[in-house]
Amino acid sequence: MLAKIQKFIEYFITYRGYVKVLLGLKNTIIIAVIGLLIGIVIGTVIATIRVVPKYKVLPRVLDKFCDFYVALFRGTPIVVQLLVFYYVFFPLIGVQITSVNVSILVFGLNSGAYVSEIMRSGIQSVDPGQMEAGRALGLSFSRTMWKIVIPQAVKNILPTLGNEFIALIKETSVISFVGAADLYAAFNYIGSNSYEFMVPFLAMALIYIILVLFITLLIRLMERRLAVSDRRH
Amino acid sequence: MIDVINLKKNFGEKEVLKGIDLHVDKGDIICIVGPSGSGKSTFLRCVNCMEDPTDGQIIFDGVNIADMSVDINIHRRKIGMVFQHFNLFNNMTVLENIMLAPVIYGIKDMRAAKKAGKLQAKKTRAEVKEECRKEAMELLARIGLQDFADAYPSTLSGGQKQRVAIARALAMKPEVILFDEPTSALDPEMVGEVLDLMRRVANAGMTMLIVTHEMGFAREVAKTVLFMDDGRILETNEPKAFFNEPKNPRLKDFLSKVL
Repeated sequence: MLAKIQKFIEYFITYRGYVKVLLGLKNTIIIAVIGLLIGIVIGTVIATIRVVPKYKVLPRVLDKFCDFYVALFRGTPIVVQLLVFYYVFFPLIGVQITSVNVSILVFGLNSGAYVSEIMRSGIQSVDPGQMEAGRALGLSFSRTMWKIVIPQAVKNILPTLGNEFIALIKETSVISFVGAADLYAAFNYIGSNSYEFMVPFLAMALIYIILVLFITLLIRLMERRLAVSDRRH
Repeated sequence: MIDVINLKKNFGEKEVLKGIDLHVDKGDIICIVGPSGSGKSTFLRCVNCMEDPTDGQIIFDGVNIADMSVDINIHRRKIGMVFQHFNLFNNMTVLENIMLAPVIYGIKDMRAAKKAGKLQAKKTRAEVKEECRKEAMELLARIGLQDFADAYPSTLSGGQKQRVAIARALAMKPEVILFDEPTSALDPEMVGEVLDLMRRVANAGMTMLIVTHEMGFAREVAKTVLFMDDGRILETNEPKAFFNEPKNPRLKDFLSKVL
């Protein structure tokens, strides 16, 4: 075992394997963070469309479109979405795009479908009286939503949103399917060069778990900050 | 000020309001009483179109606001509402609750004034905010809660919450305030402080429509008392006659149960 560790360290440092690992780590974090941000924006928009009163035609059409969108992105594995976007969609419309950018986009779109359901449950967990009070003051639906309902919804769903972020971090381990450099690609590279996979993959697991624990801590701090208006301090 | 003409409301198949007519003048204080399920809350909620009427008209300042093509938000600014369950914004402090709508409309009006070229109306956002803050603090002082300006609603008692909710409605300088059972969710010892505040608001000349079970309050403060049952107004009278010489048999029955 000691020899294996020594070999790993040799390839990690002397043969500059750490450069690839750092690059992979950077890509993982960028894709997960920007993906989640895109996901929150898309998810909030979809969730809002879901709860809009449906007297008029436009909200009903948008609602159907959202149904379709969510079904599409929850109904296919993210690897398939990556492959389709990278090898089918963008070549068809003739756009050159890097694999990292495709990954960001696909993770954002995919996460949007999941966040929309999380956000919807968050919005529905807010007392309808809050919306009524806002509307009774003469504020528009969207203004009330933005100023009053969504802040409370976000507070309620923060733990679940944290779950989504953790899931995204871990799911980035598939972006090497479209040739993007991630942690798996980096450690696989070290492994195949040193003909020794045990320690690299162990190290990879370790990095993921440290990353996730760190995020868990961040979420907990955020929750505490948002709890100022709660009864339980 | 408000004319309700043949107002009807259905929830699905169920007819909740079966044709209500009411005329409200400036300064009127109208209490609406009646058994539960009689449609009084629904009626009140129709007045500012929180529920869209199925049929009929609500003429407010000469405009039929029941018409779906009217921008209801402009008119709701002038119709305050106080809810049974207070509905203070939980994510905001007491002061922010009161300031929210005045600041939004203050800034909107300022922009409109600028566009219209009224230079003397020119103010900065910060000035509008500061003005609203001052007015909100004055309101808080009037209701005796100035020390709670930075507290969150979850830390207040029910009575305090409802007083803040009334202040929030007053901050918009409305022409009329609708009260939807404002004391029904309160512990008995807190009812008094809320009724006291409502009495003061009434004495200041506010037009008020109040759905209530507080018969003593209705008798003392109201200029007119309405009895509603089964989606209709069955009796309208000034309070003395309303309570002492009820004519409608169902009102007689109702009063014998609650008094």
